[in-house]
Amino acid sequence: MAEEKYPINIWVNEERYEKLKEAGLAHMCEEMLAGMKVIRVYANAAQRDKILKVFPTAKFDSATTKSIELLPRNVKDKIFDVVVERKSVDVLDEFLKDY
Amino acid sequence: MAEIGHGGKEIVERILDPKEAPAKVRGLKQVPVRSQIANEVIGISYGFFCPLTGFMGKEDLDSVVKRMRLKDGTVWSIPILFDMSDQELSDYGIKEGDTICLTYHDNPMAIFEIREIYTYDKEAMCQSVFGTAESKHPGCARTYAYKDKFLGGDITLVTPPKINPPFDPYFIPPLEMRKRFREKGWQRIVAHQTRNVPHTGHEWLMKGAWFQTYAELPIEKPLVGVLVNAIIGEKRKGDYIDEAIILTQDELRKSGYFGDHNHMTSLTFWDMRYAGPKEAVFHAALRTNLGLTHHMYGRDHAGVGTYYGPYDAHHLLATVQDELNITPVYSMNWLYCPHCGEITSEGLCNHKNEWQKFSGTLIRSIVEDGVKPPRLIFRPEVFDLVMECAEKYGFGSPFVTDEYLAKRTPVFTIPPLAG
Ligand SMILES: [Zn+2]
Repeated sequence: MAEEKYPINIWVNEERYEKLKEAGLAHMCEEMLAGMKVIRVYANAAQRDKILKVFPTAKFDSATTKSIELLPRNVKDKIFDVVVERKSVDVLDEFLKDY
Repeated sequence: MAEIGHGGKEIVERILDPKEAPAKVRGLKQVPVRSQIANEVIGISYGFFCPLTGFMGKEDLDSVVKRMRLKDGTVWSIPILFDMSDQELSDYGIKEGDTICLTYHDNPMAIFEIREIYTYDKEAMCQSVFGTAESKHPGCARTYAYKDKFLGGDITLVTPPKINPPFDPYFIPPLEMRKRFREKGWQRIVAHQTRNVPHTGHEWLMKGAWFQTYAELPIEKPLVGVLVNAIIGEKRKGDYIDEAIILTQDELRKSGYFGDHNHMTSLTFWDMRYAGPKEAVFHAALRTNLGLTHHMYGRDHAGVGTYYGPYDAHHLLATVQDELNITPVYSMNWLYCPHCGEITSEGLCNHKNEWQKFSGTLIRSIVEDGVKPPRLIFRPEVFDLVMECAEKYGFGSPFVTDEYLAKRTPVFTIPPLAG
């Protein structure tokens, strides 16, 4: 069985969308919930647990969406910036190194 | 006409005539109470908790713990208790048979006729009410935080609370609520229990329950209403602020997603116990007293963590259904299906692989990221009002912060006694 993956939804507001377009990464957005753009960065179980520990406001929505929610906006901005820099959504190891 | 509440008992408001109040409290020992007790004093005095006339004595408590009933046999699931420490009892010089005056915000709130003072095994209480004795369960934590002695006896309100804006239109006690239902001509009213700002999943829970409740009734004129009954009590950091909850629920009516003919919003003061199934039974009693005929129950009603199975509450309700005067309406989850292009029920749509479920938590994440969700997911009027509430009441945030807890205007205050 493939390893379980837990998404962090980075909702793409206008500011984030501009950055993506500039970097030629607009195609990385997925569409969810009737037209919202989102970039999904996936955590494995260990990364999920570390995130929940390091950022106490974060919550794993185990009942409905199976995603990691309620990370502070500035934390999501940082993850987003690494995504843009690396042109990849596989960035959590690098991001979590600093914590 | 007698108004009959839970357990077939008449609802009687226990409120002193304002002319008599000053004389009745004169000379009584004054004991300040915390917000949970003040909330419950209101629940008792206005008949939200009918047939309770005061804080529980030991026989009632023991019967609730062991049989989920009051000692007279009426179904009752949650202990309603007044606690004090031995130190406080001796400092105030309080003994059985005394009558004292409970104060809140330094003003007389209620008269408490203390019939008995007793102890009870808190762990046994937790095990029965919450199905666990773990102190990390928030209801157990609240129970263990009770001081060691319990005081049972009747409560009579001295001074009605002043409900502060913007909550004032939403405090509608049982007798008044029943009058309003009659004025509207509703034959059936279904309760929606909430502590949330509504997204369209919630909206459709209500709409689905409205259809279920309507059933075989004639449709020439509106006969069925939804009552949103928001629970207002202790707040945790990160919750939506109370102002945003109550005003956005009502906004669904004001903005036409519902209308005056089928929707009303109100509040009940109550500190959630997160007792899951037992809290579901308590909600049935509470909403019976408010005059409702039906009650919505979704999955894991009033649960927390993984303590209860998704349908435990439904199963427990079924065991006492014959004795309840309210019909449960069970709700399946609503979700967005991109294939259907609409909000649909998981009991209806079969595009299972395409379903996009959403939760209040997910919506909060979207809002915190500075994105305005599409109207199919979150109504623009609700979104705008959440933002307005953040500025007006939330010190910049629609969610509870330390600053909000410290500086907010209380939902109600107790004014000084006139005369
Ligand atoms: Zn579908």
